[in-house]
Amino acid sequence: MLEFNNVSFSYDAASTSGQISNITLTIPEGQVVLICGESGCGKTTLTRLINGLIPNYYEGDLLGSVRVHGDKISEKALYEIAPVVGSVFQNPRSQFFAVDTNSELAFGCENLGWPEEKITARMKEVVADFHIQFLMNRSIFALSGGEKQKIACASAAMMNPEILVLDEPSSNLDLKSIHELGKVIRLWKDQGKTIIIAEHRLSYLMDLVDRVLYMRDGEITDDMSIQEFKKLSREEIARMGLRSRLPIDFKQHYKTASLSDEQITMSNFYFSYGNQPALQIDSVSVPKGSVIGIVGSNGAGKTTLARCLCGLEKKSSGEIHMDGKSYSSKKRLNLCYMVMQNPSHQLFTEAVLDEVMLSMDGNEDDQVTAEQILMDLNIETLKQRHPMSLSGGQQQRVAIASAVASGREIMVFDEPTSGLDFRHMEEVAAVLEKLQQMGKTLFIITHDPELIQRCCDYFLFVENGKVKWSEHWNEHSESELAAFFAEENGL
Amino acid sequence: MDWQVLSSQAENKGIRLDPRTKIFLLLTISILVVGGEVSGIMIVIKPLTALIPFLLLLSSGKWRQAICFTTLFTILFLCELLILPAMGTSGFLLLFFCGLFGRLLPGVVMGYYTVSTTTVSEFVAAMERMHVTQKLIIPLAVLFRFFPTVMEEYHNIGDAMRMRGIRIGGRKTSKMLEYRFIPMMICSVKIGEELSAASLTRGLGAPIKRTNICQVGFHKFDGCMLLYGGLMLVLNLFRAIGLLW
Repeated sequence: MLEFNNVSFSYDAASTSGQISNITLTIPEGQVVLICGESGCGKTTLTRLINGLIPNYYEGDLLGSVRVHGDKISEKALYEIAPVVGSVFQNPRSQFFAVDTNSELAFGCENLGWPEEKITARMKEVVADFHIQFLMNRSIFALSGGEKQKIACASAAMMNPEILVLDEPSSNLDLKSIHELGKVIRLWKDQGKTIIIAEHRLSYLMDLVDRVLYMRDGEITDDMSIQEFKKLSREEIARMGLRSRLPIDFKQHYKTASLSDEQITMSNFYFSYGNQPALQIDSVSVPKGSVIGIVGSNGAGKTTLARCLCGLEKKSSGEIHMDGKSYSSKKRLNLCYMVMQNPSHQLFTEAVLDEVMLSMDGNEDDQVTAEQILMDLNIETLKQRHPMSLSGGQQQRVAIASAVASGREIMVFDEPTSGLDFRHMEEVAAVLEKLQQMGKTLFIITHDPELIQRCCDYFLFVENGKVKWSEHWNEHSESELAAFFAEENGL
Repeated sequence: MDWQVLSSQAENKGIRLDPRTKIFLLLTISILVVGGEVSGIMIVIKPLTALIPFLLLLSSGKWRQAICFTTLFTILFLCELLILPAMGTSGFLLLFFCGLFGRLLPGVVMGYYTVSTTTVSEFVAAMERMHVTQKLIIPLAVLFRFFPTVMEEYHNIGDAMRMRGIRIGGRKTSKMLEYRFIPMMICSVKIGEELSAASLTRGLGAPIKRTNICQVGFHKFDGCMLLYGGLMLVLNLFRAIGLLW
């Protein structure tokens, strides 16, 4: 049993984001609880109070008490909490200590000084439970995001904790891996564990959770059973700022917008990793000025396509023909721009305005132009801030602003909405629309059906390094997309 | 060097050595091959010591690397031994090249072998057997873990710089270093913070004696290699005290 008694917490930092107040809550054993709400509403803070990272690691003002079986979490050391509460985090890259899967699974138990035989025996059980024989004895760096998350879950399960806390575990996963994650949660549920999941993506959890807590500004404003939650209307869900509960139905949404007749043609795109061909595209054309969704399973070659498009793969062949000119790989470095999944990699200067002006040629009216671009993207108030002090979404916009400033015609987005709540997804979609109005051609790698439905008007479906089909919205593309997402969801 | 090397899940082909043996051999090579002149018994000791990484590469099935290394070393060594004395001062550049690379090469290759065939857990287990303090082991283990992650960041940032036209001869050449390292440092700090949080929730730092499921121990092949390395050191010692010329 997990009890929150009038708990309030605020981080030391000046920002109010993530603080919580007056939480009183009882979670009985074996319940599966979903915590949802917009970014910054305090979901993560709640999970940290359960696994003891607050107040042991993240400092701030804590009032009230959190108890597990009557013991106050705040009075225990982290290593005492570890065997009782297991944690899975959002970023698969930063939650591993070892570099190979076996040591990773053993890590927690080793820390607690379990005897070797006991660890090996427990490892056998966990490997069998999770069906991860094929992942054992491998380098963690060679695993996909989904596989990493599976190892993270298995590692949390090693110490056989009664309570499991998952903080946005699906953020960096594709739909297939999310489905696998759902299976893991099902397994834990069947074992009678108490599970607390903070999450934006809801559809995969609808048949797993028993109870839904909705948070707003640090307080739990709704506490309902899953049956009640399912009864809420689509409009109410959108008003709460939540993602869709159901797989997206593309039918009502296809717009046959007038697409330009001008084409951008990609020809002879070939690339291989060693002897492994990763991309084989003879010729494919897309309408200029459209928003092109690059869709396909993980490992199909979407990212490779995007990297070749931007000229980042030196060894790739292939040319782009646009406006009667052709662009080789090297020339494309100045034609295309990729907005990365983690935009903090592509911001270099000390202020947002400098960042945008870095992309310009040093003319006198640069500053005016730069400020205009910031205004267009609604970030003019941030112009003196250090890019690294901004939130992920703001950084994304600064990266976009610098691409606009350098006059790039083609922009490529790598999963621009992964891990975003409904409101932020809408914001990204609005920015994409604005860019389209400016006449840019946008390529978007995405697994997000809501984003696709909202802004794409052309599709490249990639499979085994080839473009299987490329079309605008029509009955065929709509049914193909629906089938693809249904399969990925394991339906 | 490819970052994969550091993260490689020990390519466990062929015979495995205990990490302690590898460290001993690494030290032996550093002592015997790097310094000193090439005269007297050293003409024999040096190539015999340089034979160690060759044997190890062979034993782990890296034929190509083994042959490349041996050919290169032989050429450099013979050059230093035979051609240079005949050339006098005019061969300064050649001396520099042969002397430097010929002497560093075996150590570098041995280092490559050590890193690419040792997992972090083996390393930690071996360190614990040698009763090295946890205060040293944990940071070293984290370093192992951290390298590949930081290299990934490094490559991403490099890509981003190329897209912005920041390159030698391009825009802002003088600021390349700053632009490369500042985002990297910030990302590293963030990753480090998350990494610490994750490992703390799994009991790192408990005041309990850690166990280790990783099996390390000396086997026959360890014995042979230790003896061989030891013999080289002893020969060198005899030379130093004047028993050998």
